[in-house]
Amino acid sequence: MTIKNVKDLNKIRKTSLATQKKHPKKVLVCCGTGCIANGALKIVDSVRDGLEKRNLKDVTVEILKETGCHGFCELGPLVIIEPQETFYTKVKPKHIEDILDKSFLDNEVIEPLLFTNPVDGSKITKYNDISFFKHQQRIALRNLGKISAHDMNEYIGVDGYQALAKVLFEMTPDEVIGEVTKSGLRGRGGGGFSAGRKWKICKDIKADKHYVICNGDEGDPGAFMDRSIMEGDPHGVLEGMMIAAYAIGAKEGYIYVRDEYPLAVKHLEKAILDCERTGLLGENILGSDFSFTIKIARGAGAFVCGESSALMKSVAGEVGEPRAKYVRSVVKGLYDEPTVLNNVETLVNVPTIIRKGADWYSSIGTKKSTGTQVFSLVGKVRNTGLIEVPMGITLREIIFDIGGGILDDRPFKAVQTGGPSGGCIPESMLDLPVDFDSLTEVGSMMGSGGLIVMDDKTCIVDIAKYFLEFLVEESCGKCTPCCEGLYQLLKIVERICAGKGVEADIEKMERLSENIMLGSLCGLGKSGPNPLMSTLKYFKDEYIAHIKDKKCPAGVCPELITYEILDNCTGCMACIPACGYDAIEGKKKEVHVITQDKCTKCGACYAVCNFDSILVS
Amino acid sequence: MIHITINGKVVQAKDGEMLLTVIRREQIDIPTLCHHEAVEPSGACRLCMVEITKPSWDGWCDYVTSCLYPAEDGLIVNTHAPKVNELRSSILDMFLARHPKSPEIRQLAAEYGVMKTQFEEVVDGDNCILCGICTRICDTMGFKAISMVGRGHGKEVAPPLNMAPAACVGCLSCAKNCPTNYIEYNMKNGGLTIWKKDFEMIACTECGATTITKEFAEYLSVNRDIPFDYFEKCDACHRKELAGTMGRIANWDREARS
Amino acid sequence: MKHNFDNLNLIFDKYPKTQESLIAVLQDIQKEYQYLPCEALEQTSEVLDVPLSKVFSVSTFYNSFSLTAKGDKVIKICTGTACHIRGAKLLQDQLENHLSIKAGETTEDMKFTLEVVACVGACAMAPVVVVGEKYHGSVKVSKVKKLVKAK
Repeated sequence: MTIKNVKDLNKIRKTSLATQKKHPKKVLVCCGTGCIANGALKIVDSVRDGLEKRNLKDVTVEILKETGCHGFCELGPLVIIEPQETFYTKVKPKHIEDILDKSFLDNEVIEPLLFTNPVDGSKITKYNDISFFKHQQRIALRNLGKISAHDMNEYIGVDGYQALAKVLFEMTPDEVIGEVTKSGLRGRGGGGFSAGRKWKICKDIKADKHYVICNGDEGDPGAFMDRSIMEGDPHGVLEGMMIAAYAIGAKEGYIYVRDEYPLAVKHLEKAILDCERTGLLGENILGSDFSFTIKIARGAGAFVCGESSALMKSVAGEVGEPRAKYVRSVVKGLYDEPTVLNNVETLVNVPTIIRKGADWYSSIGTKKSTGTQVFSLVGKVRNTGLIEVPMGITLREIIFDIGGGILDDRPFKAVQTGGPSGGCIPESMLDLPVDFDSLTEVGSMMGSGGLIVMDDKTCIVDIAKYFLEFLVEESCGKCTPCCEGLYQLLKIVERICAGKGVEADIEKMERLSENIMLGSLCGLGKSGPNPLMSTLKYFKDEYIAHIKDKKCPAGVCPELITYEILDNCTGCMACIPACGYDAIEGKKKEVHVITQDKCTKCGACYAVCNFDSILVS
Repeated sequence: MIHITINGKVVQAKDGEMLLTVIRREQIDIPTLCHHEAVEPSGACRLCMVEITKPSWDGWCDYVTSCLYPAEDGLIVNTHAPKVNELRSSILDMFLARHPKSPEIRQLAAEYGVMKTQFEEVVDGDNCILCGICTRICDTMGFKAISMVGRGHGKEVAPPLNMAPAACVGCLSCAKNCPTNYIEYNMKNGGLTIWKKDFEMIACTECGATTITKEFAEYLSVNRDIPFDYFEKCDACHRKELAGTMGRIANWDREARS
Repeated sequence: MKHNFDNLNLIFDKYPKTQESLIAVLQDIQKEYQYLPCEALEQTSEVLDVPLSKVFSVSTFYNSFSLTAKGDKVIKICTGTACHIRGAKLLQDQLENHLSIKAGETTEDMKFTLEVVACVGACAMAPVVVVGEKYHGSVKVSKVKKLVKAK
């Protein structure tokens, strides 16, 4: 059907709500990339077959929901039974019969599939009782895990496109900009620039055309919120773009998505098609004067395309080399026209802000960083996944309350934020309230919200080397300080990791870093030395240990460590085939021995040993 | 006309004119490696960075590439501020590590006090500094035969698919404008080889010296309305002919006067 | 290697014939042939009216494009930060050793290509290895050999 006006929209909303009410019992299967990797599609098939067997075929659509990501990917596939909110983890097809009979048709709970609290080993039944979810406040992720990602009617049922209707018929573009500005919404892509102010600058420029681009490139390694949002709530992203387009007077929009995110592309394509078919995209949307189209531009793998000028070149089908931005892309962007570029998370917040008002939004979070932030909490932490929390929450709350603390109870060492442009924050700053400005103050940055937790087995110099390797690989090669300077920084850090560093290297790195930051053309180079600088600032001792003592305290850098087998070796022979270099010899039930000159220190033996018999020193 | 201050001296400039143009007009020497009048500035080498400020900026300074920064009224520019000099020598140090054998780089680095690089020299470092002048000029000429290939540290200038480029006419603009004389070409036996492509040169009908490639001549005659036979005479013979013509004209003048 | 290039037209027909379509077209070609064959690049240049040099620039700039033929199965080791600190290097070492090739190379029998890639966005399941289209999460050393066998 077509949606010609607000009345049509509300009719769908009503029908959708009525359907939900009529079928309160539901089986929600998470179909994010993580759960699909763990076999979620087979679960969907099993549930479908099971419903058919139970003569519920006609209402499968109402009962079985293929939802977006809950963010708790490690325990997937995840299945939720509503209305009880029973939360099952690591579900296999063989469990489905039981789940349908006992949990869906009856009110029983299947204990073994429940979530186990990693702290005390207790079983938790309800979704919202798990500490991972309990402390969250979901605005950007509001629909993830709740509705079928590819069903437009369901989106409309949860107030979808109501904000669009509101701006089109009750607000002028300036009022929309005013509301977004007042809400304090800042760009979630890394920069943290006021979204409303960006829109205002763009709107005020007289030009033939204005563009809206949604940045879904998400190049930061360790962050995957944009992926999950695009997969799980594609209409939320589209509605945010439409509102931005109305505000700045754009008729054309692009979504720039990484090609590595095939499911996100698929869901966005479907959502755009549905909108075009029903008239929510195209000419005279909802009967108003507003016309808008959205195209998908697939990125092809270049971190530098997170830089606005490079991204816009890539959208135009060119090499993604940034240009000097003495004239900003909001003034002269895609095809030299004024362009608003916002990232996925920023835009998906917009409809809710419009519906609930700027005052509501700005009451959440801190004064200068309002609202919530989605973090991808990963690394050496117990509960890994996506979380959405109010700005101003402390790192300690995130890592220990929501994340459940460090994996295997090891000591916390650092948390890396902001991706390759950010830095590592030490334990002494765990009580730092997290917002845009506090992170920048301590030498890191919010970036797109990756939080990578590190324990004492993570070598901080190796981490600096890791980010430099990444940046050297991703530098476009246009400007000298970034291309050559970062390369030379890497060479120095490589030397240090190999035990060939000298004390003067530290000062050399500091000076070179300053010149790279000062001289580089774009943000990639300007912030490229951040991971190195922040680790030098907070973990100088570890650098000194590598340089002076020729030791890697974390036991990571191959040239500075040795592997030995301790006497408590049970002689299980697990490590012998794991070693790819024939460096381990031993017989069954006898203590094995590592031949040192064959050992490459790859760590395979350590990874497979179940008896803590391998000593790294 | 607007006024800006460069190194303490107030000078006139056109609004929107790039700072580098103004600086060079004032005969102030600042180094560049990627700048060329014929093409749009790219801001790649970063050597032309200068310190700028304004009275209203409260003592705050910015560092910008002068080749890309438009002049604005009241701007105060310092082309050799300490930080700028330090940055330049650091960048030249990076260049020297990458291209240790290039005489042009060695000379420029020496001017900024860098005699030997403090960084790790790149093994087999060639002399291509990736300034992109050749590719940009090739674009401007309208051939678009060569381009930057790859990215980051492994980037290079190359013809498409690393094969003789169909679009190249052998005009030599790339090679003749390369600041480090990196682009090789070979001219012998009335032929030219560049980018692995062989060309036949037109021979001067008077003296037999080579002029330009047939392809380039054809391009110019079709696209620039220069008669093809103009290229069938070399420069020297064109001048000889011109001198002869001028001499005849002078003779006619004398005859006419007498 | 001989290819049938008839399918190229199907790809070209999907998009407007402008430079804006270049990356999308190249992505489709890459999917079809697992790499970008020279002939396909030449045709792309002609059909989209983009100079071949620019097509080549774009083809070599972005990570997802490859100019050499790949093996039947592409194994991608994610080296995002989360995977890195959860042992991606060790997996790389094991896979390289097992397949007797380095990352970026293809086995002689053209069965496997091993690649290291920047974050695939499945960080909560680190370390991740993608075999063909299938994501494998929390990969352990003991699972490595199975991954290579997996059809």
